[in-house]
Amino acid sequence: MLGGKGAGLASLAAAGLRVPPAFVITTEAYRRAVAEPLGEELERALAAIPDRAPDAELERAAAAARERILAVPERHGLRDEIETAYARLGAEAGEDPAPVAVRSSATGEDSGGQSFAGGHDTHLWVVGADEVQARVRECWASLYTARAVSYRAHGGLVDEAVMGVVVQQMADARSAGVFMTLDPSNGDRSSVVVESVWGLGEPLVSGQATPDRFVVNKITGDVVRRQIALKPAELVRDPASGRGTVQREVPADRRERSSLESAELDELVRMARVLEELAGAPQDCEFAVTAGEPPENVRLLQCRPETVWSQRKPRTIAGRRSALQSVLNTLTGEDRA
Amino acid sequence: MTTAGGSFQSPYEVGTPQGAEGWEQMYNWYHQRGEERREQDEQRFWFHDRLHHPDLLHPYDEIQCECWWQALGAFNTRIFAMPPAYGVDQRIINGYVYVSPVPADPAKLAERAELFERRAGHYYEHWDAIYDEWKEKVTARLEEIRAMDFSPLPDVEDESVVFEHRGYSSGYRMIQDFQRLVVVMYETYQYHFELLNIGYAAYLSFFGFCKKAFPNITDQAISRMVGGLHVDLYRPDDELKRLGKEAVRLGIADDVLAADDGAERLFERLREREGGREWVEDWERTADPWFVFNTDPGHPGGYHVHRTWADEPDVPLAAVKEYVSRLREGEEIDRPTERVLAERDRITAEYRRLLSEDDQPAFDEMVDLARTVFVYIEEHNIYIEHWMWATFWSKSRELSRSLQAMGAFDEAEDMFFLRRGEVAEAIYDVVAAWSVGSRPRGADYWRPIVVERRRIHAVLEAWDAPPALGRPPQEVNEPFTVMLWGITTDQVAAWLSGGGEDGRTLQGQAGSPGVVEGPARIVRTVDELREVQDGEVLICPATSPSWSTVFSRVVATVSDVGGVMSHTAIVCREYGMPAVVGTGRAVSTITTGQRVRVDGDQGTVTVLD
Repeated sequence: MLGGKGAGLASLAAAGLRVPPAFVITTEAYRRAVAEPLGEELERALAAIPDRAPDAELERAAAAARERILAVPERHGLRDEIETAYARLGAEAGEDPAPVAVRSSATGEDSGGQSFAGGHDTHLWVVGADEVQARVRECWASLYTARAVSYRAHGGLVDEAVMGVVVQQMADARSAGVFMTLDPSNGDRSSVVVESVWGLGEPLVSGQATPDRFVVNKITGDVVRRQIALKPAELVRDPASGRGTVQREVPADRRERSSLESAELDELVRMARVLEELAGAPQDCEFAVTAGEPPENVRLLQCRPETVWSQRKPRTIAGRRSALQSVLNTLTGEDRA
Repeated sequence: MTTAGGSFQSPYEVGTPQGAEGWEQMYNWYHQRGEERREQDEQRFWFHDRLHHPDLLHPYDEIQCECWWQALGAFNTRIFAMPPAYGVDQRIINGYVYVSPVPADPAKLAERAELFERRAGHYYEHWDAIYDEWKEKVTARLEEIRAMDFSPLPDVEDESVVFEHRGYSSGYRMIQDFQRLVVVMYETYQYHFELLNIGYAAYLSFFGFCKKAFPNITDQAISRMVGGLHVDLYRPDDELKRLGKEAVRLGIADDVLAADDGAERLFERLREREGGREWVEDWERTADPWFVFNTDPGHPGGYHVHRTWADEPDVPLAAVKEYVSRLREGEEIDRPTERVLAERDRITAEYRRLLSEDDQPAFDEMVDLARTVFVYIEEHNIYIEHWMWATFWSKSRELSRSLQAMGAFDEAEDMFFLRRGEVAEAIYDVVAAWSVGSRPRGADYWRPIVVERRRIHAVLEAWDAPPALGRPPQEVNEPFTVMLWGITTDQVAAWLSGGGEDGRTLQGQAGSPGVVEGPARIVRTVDELREVQDGEVLICPATSPSWSTVFSRVVATVSDVGGVMSHTAIVCREYGMPAVVGTGRAVSTITTGQRVRVDGDQGTVTVLD
């Protein structure tokens, strides 16, 4: 029940990509612990909501569903397994109890397909077995936010509603961000676009922070564009409790500085190339950069297939045209626009 | 971005700087403004051709502009029927060259496209064979002008004139040789454009394809797929490296490194010793033709004032010293040709892999064609801009010395203040006097003219030629303007708005990637190269292949002119250092010693002090 994505992460590590240790509570595990005892009841209640139900009604029904999941008995069938896996993570990380990130993942690795980025929960700097158990249940419950319910009802996601959860050793991020192995703004497959901020990557992922942005030529390694943003705030581990996060002001001397060093950027681009090659398709990934020296301080947190451009057929530009015909088109301006 | 309908000063409103009145007599009338073509000229967009003619023209040097004015025009307009573009018109204003690409009649686009397809298609198909013939044609013309003898006319003719029944005098030969010198130069410029613009067109089409398929691809990445193997272009520098290695092998490295009294004295000392003699003889063999290499900053061969490595052996000697000391430190100095080629093939294959299957065969064809034409694009400079022009100017200087010796001028340099038609007159004057054993009018006639022109020349030299005149198009998309001169819509808009974003940042084109800071060093001529210190940022009108050794000392290069295919951009990419090209005014606005940041990714130069 525990593995799945964890095994995938292990193969990334084997390919020379540094990934913090993690385990995954698979959708199958969710099915056994939650969906089977409760699912039918939950889905029936939700199915009874008429198509154009007022928001309030949807919200009430969703809240009821969440309540029900959070109330899953303490002694559900996965509890021991999660505890064991968490302890093993602590041993592996050399820090017990290990600080971890608990992230929901609407479709497990096994089902692929549509992503539902940002739609579910992420809990950072979670420490201790009980905390982990509680956060896992919250992740499951997040399957039934009004938005998620509505998305499933109208978005045509026909799969049964299930939820995987990733528990990963926390990377103490000095900087963090995302990269894509193509340019999402124009579909350029020869580019890697990296966005990064100081501290943890969540404000970037949720669109609350303007990141530094780098467009790098994947083939030559040249940095094609470099936009350094003003970064007034960063999200960091709560220094008081050591649990959870706080937002703090970035000291003046760092605000307009690049949150990535060029050797770190190089390492991210190298990772992007390896990953894409391994997956055989464009990827969309999260990373963290910790204290220490590049490239060892660059870590991959999670990856998924890019879903927008990679589902389109590559555009045909010259087609079966001869080189001479191409020259003519260039000169007559038919290739412009 | 567009130029937003803005307009520059009319070329007809550009006045004469005070004290330069009458400058028009220094240049041919057909090269100047005229009321009858005012309406036409004012509708057009003109820019100062800083790429080929950054400096004030001497009257004699006007031939350089005439050569390409006519030849480029004829090949675009009349021979290959380049569909969208006729030639590039020229006007000389206050002694500076302004150019304006002339668009073809849009109604004739289809008709011209059909002609172009047949004609250029023929050239593309037979390119390598045509280029081989081309080299023979040009080399034969080179030999012809090299063989010309412009020494002063003899007191009594050699016996061979009689016993070989030559039938004409050396005076006649001087008249004729000068005409041939000009005509042959003109002729080789025809050949220069026989292949150049259709070559560029093929490269541009590959370029355009890449930009569409990979919107983020840089110009550098595109050129890396096609360039990198043109031996003749790098041959002069390769020869310097070879001489460096030879100096080590022959055990004279210490003498070479210690030489601080000039190349000639070093050669004298070395001739006394066995290994040394061998090396000097090697140098002399190598110098012809590989050191017939112009030292002009920027486009080589444009002015009579610049010399070649062969004329100034101290310049190549400094480079050889540099290579010797790098060899001493155990450095590898050879160009990594194989690595560059392997990298070229890797990059090409990786881009190809990302294309749709339908595009892959077209891509293969385009890469092939672009690589084929690119050899000429890179290599023709050696034949025309270096060998032909250097020989032309050197023969012209030889003629000027003889004319001075024969009484035509007070100083040899005076000849260059005469238009070439006037030089023919000056020759006839002294030849006639020599023939009859009389006195030419010579210097007495030319003196007041030359004195006046020298004075005007000095005034015009201080004139700040505006970068552009007339009415710019909304968008600059004429392919050659963008490609060759590096003039873009953004650049024109920046000129219109007064040139500087905040006065501290100059916008140019990203020539070679990377960001670096350092103290600026302004270099206008090859003589100033020796002042360059390690770690400085080289700021120049443009670089020249003859400046090769400076690139191992500087950390970045900024040039006033040039696009991404300019020498500066190419060589900096090879050296892996940032370059910003085509800034327009870095040399005039930055001073030596100021700290600057060169951003070769964004194409900006920022003054930090």
